[in-house]
Amino acid sequence: MLYTVLSPYLFTDETTILPKGGDPSTNRPKRSHHQPGWVRGHQKDGGDYSKEMPKYITAGGFARARAAEVKAMLKAVTKRPASCHVFETLPKHMRRRAMSHNTKRLPRRLRLMKKKEQTRSKSRKARRRHGNLLLEFNRRQRKNIWLETHIWHAKRFHMVKKWGYCLGDRPTYKCYRPCYRAMSSHCLLQDLSYYCCIELQGEEDRLLTGLSQLTSKEAGPTFAAALCLSGRRQGSVVVYRAGQYPSQPLGPVTFLWRPRTQGSTHRQLWIWAHPTLKQDLLAELRSVCDCSEAVVPVVVPEPSPAEVTPTVDSEPKPKTTPGAKRKRSSKDQSGPPAKKILGDGTRSPTTPVTWKSSSSTTVINDLTMEIIRYRLIGPQSHTVITEAFEAATSCDPSSLWWPEHCKDENKMHLHQQQADVFHLLKGIFSTAELPPGTILGLTVDDPRLTLPTKKVKALPCEKRRELVLSGVSEHCCQSFLWDRSVRDNVIDNKISEQELNRMRSEVLVPGSRLPVPPQGRVPVLLVHQPGKQVGHEMSSWGAGWDLLLPKGWGMAFWVPLVYRGVRIGGLNMSLKHSQNKSAPHFPHDYPDCPAGVHFQEEQEAELLDKFKRRPPAKRTNYIKHGCLAPFCCPWQQLAEEWEHITREGGEEREGAGRSRTTTEADTVMEGRWRPLVRIIRTHSSLRLLSGWCKPTTSKGQRACRLRLPPPSLDLSAVKSFLTSHRMTLVWVRLSLLSGGKPELHGIVCVPTSEDLKQLKASKKAAAPSLPSDKTVEKETELSSASDPNIPITSSSPLDLVLGLWPDPLPSVASHCSRLTLGWVTQGDFSLSAGCGEALGFVSVPGLLNTLQNQPMEHRGTVLLRNPTSLQYRFAKINTRSEPMHKFSYCQ
Amino acid sequence: MVRIKSRHLLCEINVTDRNCLLLLDDRAVLAAVKDTVLRMHGDYGAAPLCFLCVFLVKYLNAHTGIVFLRFPKNCYKLLWSALPFITSIESRGHKISCFFNCLHVGGTIRTCQKFLIRYNTQQLHRMLPKCKNEEEKQEIRQAILNCSLLRGKKEAFEEASESEEDEEE
Repeated sequence: MLYTVLSPYLFTDETTILPKGGDPSTNRPKRSHHQPGWVRGHQKDGGDYSKEMPKYITAGGFARARAAEVKAMLKAVTKRPASCHVFETLPKHMRRRAMSHNTKRLPRRLRLMKKKEQTRSKSRKARRRHGNLLLEFNRRQRKNIWLETHIWHAKRFHMVKKWGYCLGDRPTYKCYRPCYRAMSSHCLLQDLSYYCCIELQGEEDRLLTGLSQLTSKEAGPTFAAALCLSGRRQGSVVVYRAGQYPSQPLGPVTFLWRPRTQGSTHRQLWIWAHPTLKQDLLAELRSVCDCSEAVVPVVVPEPSPAEVTPTVDSEPKPKTTPGAKRKRSSKDQSGPPAKKILGDGTRSPTTPVTWKSSSSTTVINDLTMEIIRYRLIGPQSHTVITEAFEAATSCDPSSLWWPEHCKDENKMHLHQQQADVFHLLKGIFSTAELPPGTILGLTVDDPRLTLPTKKVKALPCEKRRELVLSGVSEHCCQSFLWDRSVRDNVIDNKISEQELNRMRSEVLVPGSRLPVPPQGRVPVLLVHQPGKQVGHEMSSWGAGWDLLLPKGWGMAFWVPLVYRGVRIGGLNMSLKHSQNKSAPHFPHDYPDCPAGVHFQEEQEAELLDKFKRRPPAKRTNYIKHGCLAPFCCPWQQLAEEWEHITREGGEEREGAGRSRTTTEADTVMEGRWRPLVRIIRTHSSLRLLSGWCKPTTSKGQRACRLRLPPPSLDLSAVKSFLTSHRMTLVWVRLSLLSGGKPELHGIVCVPTSEDLKQLKASKKAAAPSLPSDKTVEKETELSSASDPNIPITSSSPLDLVLGLWPDPLPSVASHCSRLTLGWVTQGDFSLSAGCGEALGFVSVPGLLNTLQNQPMEHRGTVLLRNPTSLQYRFAKINTRSEPMHKFSYCQ
Repeated sequence: MVRIKSRHLLCEINVTDRNCLLLLDDRAVLAAVKDTVLRMHGDYGAAPLCFLCVFLVKYLNAHTGIVFLRFPKNCYKLLWSALPFITSIESRGHKISCFFNCLHVGGTIRTCQKFLIRYNTQQLHRMLPKCKNEEEKQEIRQAILNCSLLRGKKEAFEEASESEEDEEE
């Protein structure tokens, strides 16, 4: 071995000291931060070569470089490889039998580490003890709140952490098609408890005036829609920031009003919103309702101090003394476990949940995690519900809420009516027969009492097809779930699972039904969810029921439902559900909302990360595929470019002597103005657009039969439309005419006239043979050879990802051989339509421009290309998108 | 254990101009070694280098000029004998004149790392008495202190990683 004492330059350089030096030292910490420890192979950020390189090095810098290296090496050497025991660090000849059993067999220097390892993990038995388990659960949901069905889900699902919750994404077993089948023929169950409920109380007109600032009549029925206001239907609106109607949307919400009580104008409203938009929505609501006074949270839940105190206690200090632990767990045995009734994931425990108005009686309550929401999707969901639940039976009076109610004649009468409607439900053929959004209040017995011993599939018993409800009358929509006192009573007096099992074991004939204990009545709300309302095939596919429960009863209702043979879906399935239903899904399909923008950023980072994990040679070369932005959709840029293109086109058509300089000046002005991109949600505009697009069924077969002649698409109409809708996008559904499966961020393009000719010639052919964009490939290859080289040399090589366009994107609209109209935000083979279907956005000026240049028989045909493919596919465009609002017209 | 045995050479690249050191990258070093071996030993010598999984530059520190070379065990002496003949490395269009100085030969990367730790600290210690002024001395002293992972710090680091693991559950 060769050992050099010191390298020769050490002596020479040591003497020279320059103030400029120390570059290695400045670089060093950055690198160690970037790639900690031991790095193998080439180090990319080995220095900025061309820039500030020191002419000489100082002794200090030299020493620092060595020191940093030593540190990195030390870290690498001392680090144990993951998942290995202490004794595995020993060389083999020093290992002994049963070292993990007897610590003394280890060398003395390792005993300490071993000891540490042992103390960290208590015995399994100790860890699984109830109190310790609860503590552990509490610790683990400090960051992300668990739903009540979390443990059930965690055993069966891939869990993801999203929006401050732990949610099941997709089951670990294969069930894509079974879930679809369940949705279309039986029932699929989802836990939507992570949706946030905001309660508004106050005078009706005051509430309505406040809420009217958030919505507009142009975009469909608002909070004041008569049917919804009466409390018979659930409504759905897109909420905007106060008074900002066409711009600054927040996102879609659903809402339900509590039916009026006689002679009172005091109303109660529940707004259900996605957790990502909750904070914004809450702020807006507080501002429009003047509810600025926050009520201290300790004061609010006075009806149930017994239940609140453990939650408050357990949150800030999970590590209590052993004595306190025991006390806590004994308390938990009486009621539902404390960890399950914690607040919610989007706020800290000390933030107030109630806001009062100083001027009026309006009160805003944040009921997040207070109400559980289960969604049953599928035509047989009513069967599952009627099988699983029974309307509450009356019982002897006692102090509990239900016996109290039994004394009241009126209330019993109401309950009888509700139970009658519930029995009628058994008779209907499909869930979709009901008017969409129907609400039914009900009180049911504890469903655990009627739990079947084996899992059975709930099947419709009698098929009296003809019975269709004309909706539920208004007073039947009343439920005691609206009352906080009743809710708290129900939650406090829940029979624990343990108690129930004891009762079961004491029954004389094993397996016979238990008598209903007095506390086993739960008020619930059933809310009908409309199915597919656009397009012509599979109409009202995916209709179902939402079940609203008081908190704490989650598992008690979940298991009985599961025992009725439903499938369980996760987040993934709810995305597929809305996709098959052709409804926009929040936050994926709301790129103009803050939550949507945030989601897009997250998605981009995730996809980019995934992409970068592949070695460069194995990556898709998106430059070669002519795909500028495979991971995100630069809507803003697209809209701006189309603005520009249409303006230029218009000027050419005018043929006036205007020079191009004015256009440029215009664009410069526009560049300064930079309006944000908007999405059209106005009903009249959407109807006009869809008329122009000649909406057909997704395959374009039964096209013109049903339809009136489409409104004429003349220049002036288009022009006036465009002036009122600048910088807009529109949500479209695309269905492929032939094979092909659209994917995320596929490119929607304008077909040229030759393409359309080809389509006409080979109409019967399965796949239109399109140019597999070789020219594009060459062009981009050339450009990638010339253009991006400049950024390579100029910018640091870190910013550049091989296979992707460098950051300032060139023109996105005219990048490929075909003009880009928009991108796909969701795409898959649609099992309900039987062809590839995609949902996405296109630029409105671009779309109109395209439609104008297309012949009548091919109007609304566009090209679709996946980011990883060169093959274009023909697709039919369809812009009708008022899915959730239709119910207001049907009656 | 059954595995492909190899030898790791811990070399120091000595250059005349310190600035050139930053230009180095692993591919350039690889190419230079390959060239020289081909020149010295012909096709016979270059053949083992064709197995890229065995012949690699495992680590290169452009600030200190330390490089780990991995050679197949059966012929590492042959390849090693070619290293003194490297006089220049071509990297990014620049020709860097340099020579290799082999400090250590180890069977695993770990032994090389351990050696490097010892070697570097030793060097720093030797620099200390030769300092010209007080400021310099202070800096080097600081560097020597930095050379060790502090006990408390290390534990804190481990704790952090543990808590992260826990959150993952």
